Amino acid sequence: MTWTDEELVARSRGGDVDSFNQLILRWERPIYALAYRVIGREDDARDVCQETFLRAFRALPGFRGQAKFSSWLYRITLNLCRDWIRRHRRAPTQQMPEGVDPLDLAADRGPVESIEELVARRELSAVVEEAMARLPEEQRTAIVLKEYHGMTFQEIADLQGCPLSTVKTRLYQGLSVLRRHLEKNGRVTAQLVKRI
Amino acid sequence: MSDTFQCGDNTALVGYLYDECDPVERQAIETHVGVCAACAAELAALESTRVQLASWTPPEIDLGFAVTRPHPSTGARGALSEVEGQASGLRPQAGALGPGPRAWYRQPMPAWAQAIAACAIFAVGVWLGVERGRAPASAQTEQAAAVAQESPAASPASAADLAALERRLRTEMVQIRGNVPSPAAAGARSSEGDAQLLARVRALITESEQRQQRALAMGMTQVVNDFEVQRRVDLAQIQRTLGQMEGLTGAEVRDQRQMLNYLMRVSQQGR
Repeated sequence: MTWTDEELVARSRGGDVDSFNQLILRWERPIYALAYRVIGREDDARDVCQETFLRAFRALPGFRGQAKFSSWLYRITLNLCRDWIRRHRRAPTQQMPEGVDPLDLAADRGPVESIEELVARRELSAVVEEAMARLPEEQRTAIVLKEYHGMTFQEIADLQGCPLSTVKTRLYQGLSVLRRHLEKNGRVTAQLVKRI
Repeated sequence: MSDTFQCGDNTALVGYLYDECDPVERQAIETHVGVCAACAAELAALESTRVQLASWTPPEIDLGFAVTRPHPSTGARGALSEVEGQASGLRPQAGALGPGPRAWYRQPMPAWAQAIAACAIFAVGVWLGVERGRAPASAQTEQAAAVAQESPAASPASAADLAALERRLRTEMVQIRGNVPSPAAAGARSSEGDAQLLARVRALITESEQRQQRALAMGMTQVVNDFEVQRRVDLAQIQRTLGQMEGLTGAEVRDQRQMLNYLMRVSQQGR
């Protein structure tokens, strides 16, 4: 039987650790992806992910369900990411290698994707990651929450503690900066030419 | 142009881009974009950027976090192990609260058992030291050297060798017993004088020491042989592991070379 988040939270608050482990199983990937895309470091994102669930576990008795459990987790994660960025005071570093590792390619090669397509996708992913790292934290977070976590403007506004119009502005400004960076690397122009 | 959309209102374009605007505004923007090349280009650029963003995926790693403490309300100050990563990537089954119990031989030995083991090892060491101390140091050294020459450690003795050595020692012991006069005979000849008695006692002591030294030499030989056998087993194990690693590395190098060759061919065809 599949329990909802709310049911699992209620059982966890009653002392059922297994229910909390199910919540972890359900949300650890999105939380890790969010942390990684905001701070840009694999190991630190993992630490943030672990700390998120640890804090949630500790604070569970005080969680009254005012917000969705996932929103609560996202809020904890973003606070931790903000602390991490404040501590490091620098743009997220890039972990994507400059070149393309043939061994890595061979290991990841799927049955339908050609090597050329895989190389192109990896290169594009590296360029996007680099461009995202150049964005201010608020814009980057807004784009990550919207693009990769499918949140509404209002949910992002609640998480970021800003008006809804500010979220739209951050998204537009962030996308514009990304577009310029990608154009500089010859990425978006080609797409536009194809579309036109 | 519509009443609900102003040309250049980029935040409204963002709402349209993410399909989070009311139907009236959406219709107005669609109508406007149909006639305004600048807004149409802006919208197309934003959409294209979104397409590019889809290519960015975080690296795949094994997370497998799990709570290992039984209850959240019992205080968690500094207990970072509450949420533990399972390095192996094997997630505990539903209902399991962390890793399962380890095998008995992998569990840490209790402190009392460690203390008993340490005392036993110490006692054996003391006993061996006392036994060695009873014999003259020079005799021990010579005997050990002789044994080392007779039974080289480089070639471990077989069971047959050990049996032959035991037979030889027993034969020598029987001969020695045959040459030594019994205590009764010694008492009968007490008149031969204290000097002779003293010489016989010394001879008995010397033979006893020799027997003990031989027994010790046999024990040492056995230890050396055991050590040599274990060393060979370990060497064979290491060699087997190295062979497996070499095989894996060779396969990876071969794959890499094939991949590089393929990439070279593809790049040359592109030119």
